[in-house]
Amino acid sequence: MNAREELIRRLAIKRSRQLGSLSTEAFAELELAVRDNPSAFVDDAEEEAFALVAQALAKLNESQHDDDLLDDDQYVQARAQRLARLGASCAQALSLDENCGDALLLQLLAADHSPDELVGRLLDLDVHLDDACGPLSAGATGDAWADVFARPHLRVKAALARTCADTARFAMARATCDDLLALAPLDSLGARLTYALTLARLEDEDGFEWLDVREGRKGNAWFHLSRALLMYKLGRMPAARRALNGYDRLCTGGAYILLQPIFVDTYLPDRPAFEPGSFLEATLAAHEAEPIIADTPDFVWWASEQPGFYDSAVSYCERNGLDWRDPNAP
Amino acid sequence: MAFDPQREDYQRLGLRFASTLDTSSPAEATRAFATFGRRFARERDTLPQSDGDRAFHLVATAAKHIDYELPFADDAEAEKLIQRGHALLDEALQLDARCYDAMRMKAAADNPSFEAFFSYLTEHAEEVRRTCEEQRDHILANDDADERTLLAADIAMRPYLRWIATQAEQALICGRNREALRLARVDLEADPRDVADARFTAAFACAKLEDEQALDELLHGAAAKRRIRPANDAWALIARLALAHKHYDLPAASALLNELIRTYPHAAESFVRQIELPEGVFARLSVRPYSEDELVLAISEATVLLQEGRDPEGRGVLSAWVAAQAAQTLPRAVLQMLAEQAEANARATGRGADHGKQGGSR
Repeated sequence: MNAREELIRRLAIKRSRQLGSLSTEAFAELELAVRDNPSAFVDDAEEEAFALVAQALAKLNESQHDDDLLDDDQYVQARAQRLARLGASCAQALSLDENCGDALLLQLLAADHSPDELVGRLLDLDVHLDDACGPLSAGATGDAWADVFARPHLRVKAALARTCADTARFAMARATCDDLLALAPLDSLGARLTYALTLARLEDEDGFEWLDVREGRKGNAWFHLSRALLMYKLGRMPAARRALNGYDRLCTGGAYILLQPIFVDTYLPDRPAFEPGSFLEATLAAHEAEPIIADTPDFVWWASEQPGFYDSAVSYCERNGLDWRDPNAP
Repeated sequence: MAFDPQREDYQRLGLRFASTLDTSSPAEATRAFATFGRRFARERDTLPQSDGDRAFHLVATAAKHIDYELPFADDAEAEKLIQRGHALLDEALQLDARCYDAMRMKAAADNPSFEAFFSYLTEHAEEVRRTCEEQRDHILANDDADERTLLAADIAMRPYLRWIATQAEQALICGRNREALRLARVDLEADPRDVADARFTAAFACAKLEDEQALDELLHGAAAKRRIRPANDAWALIARLALAHKHYDLPAASALLNELIRTYPHAAESFVRQIELPEGVFARLSVRPYSEDELVLAISEATVLLQEGRDPEGRGVLSAWVAAQAAQTLPRAVLQMLAEQAEANARATGRGADHGKQGGSR
């Protein structure tokens, strides 16, 4: 979530409303002025709350830089402190605006509930935001994301979709993704990525093909991995091999990350931004696919047996000076 | 219903013996048959039998060792039981190269992964079907369709029913839920009475696919109405419970859990413990309907439903929820005892209490 950019946009829109109808040029100029000094444009409690959230997220990102240097205990402690700070900032934001969607969402995520409990709370939050801010709609532009004030609620739905998939509630994940794609067809939040994994897990080939066509068959780590899983589950082994091969060739470090999963922390509040085709993309896809992969117990073993796959993983590991943990080691 | 290997062994020899009796004198035949039970138990070798019958007897004995004795044996005894079981299966195959039960049971041990075992079963399924059907058709063509003939024809098909049922169960374990459902339906079509209880596997596959309509059809459709046992067995209830939980309908999930607790003795304890048993290599273990053992078996098979999803303890989302709900119904002293048992078991097997399947540790 690029909170600073959203804050600038929100403030510019609010100020332009006060000023009456502005030309495009005038609005662009206003936006530049806001960018220069956002806090000067904060003049209601709602934006004050959002600014607090933006600030808290910026601090959170800064504090994560040195995580790699910590041992496990230190990491757990640092993480707990970070989440507590975030929770406190959210509480402060909510004292200014009790319906600040991002503060409500981040507060839930920072509380570190079990995914099962989180589902219930996100469902409640979704309903609460419907009541408090009115239900979402695709609006005049045809995409709810274009309305910057609708984005917090869209993020709640995206978190709900991912948490449903995490807790093996795939019909609910599918329904939420359908909802998101109807509201925001350009899908800036990547609901289609959650959707692809969900359809693979439900072994819904027609659904997956529909989604792949919708995506222009462009493919990405989620789609390649989902297709490999789907074909494997359906027992269509030549197609599964082709899909796995595509995943290996087109996703940087894809083979490595499948055989050597890396811990990825809770998304606060949404999926981190990644460069298309990057190692981070493959890492996030493999992380989100983890429960589905575990549910297909021999998939990773099968993948590692496919010609070239294991070698590709090892070679990526060596080229990049990464760790290789022996899964059989105690 | 389940397959009982000892009973099937008895039925095979009984049929063979009856076919050798002089049916022109019913009184004579009745008298001769009166000795059958004793001879079956004590002087088996004096009874007429084919190599196929002898092979099946070895299979039944191996099944007794591996499926019914092994889970209760200590380590030293376990090794002996496994060796004895395998020697019996080898011998069975020497007597009858088409003893598919023995082939399948050996393959279960010889194949290192679920995937490899599943592939093996898939590879040979057609051959098993053809052979069993040939044998059945042969029996039906040569005899009058009396009760004995029908039983013999029925027995001829059983290795195939077991083969497909195992294949379906393996597909479910491999995460191939559509294939599991398809195979279970093949089994149900071949045997509408469902001796193999393939509908249990089908119910879990429907729950995995979150296909409520398919589950309804399976449990309450036309075919279900012809079955003797109503759809209130542990598998049906757990499948519906899992679906309710997946729809986040927690009141419905709780109601189904309570129904299970009312139906099965010591159910709450079983849901707290959630023991994972090895699958029966001959067939799903034959246990009394609505007994504690039946629920333990169903919970063990429900691992695919229970242990899915992210959960802080790594035990699976539904597993954690069900255990917590069930624990609420138990007195503190019982919970304490269960916790101690779990700890002792974890120590004995050298594993932690954590039996999660998720990778990706930090």
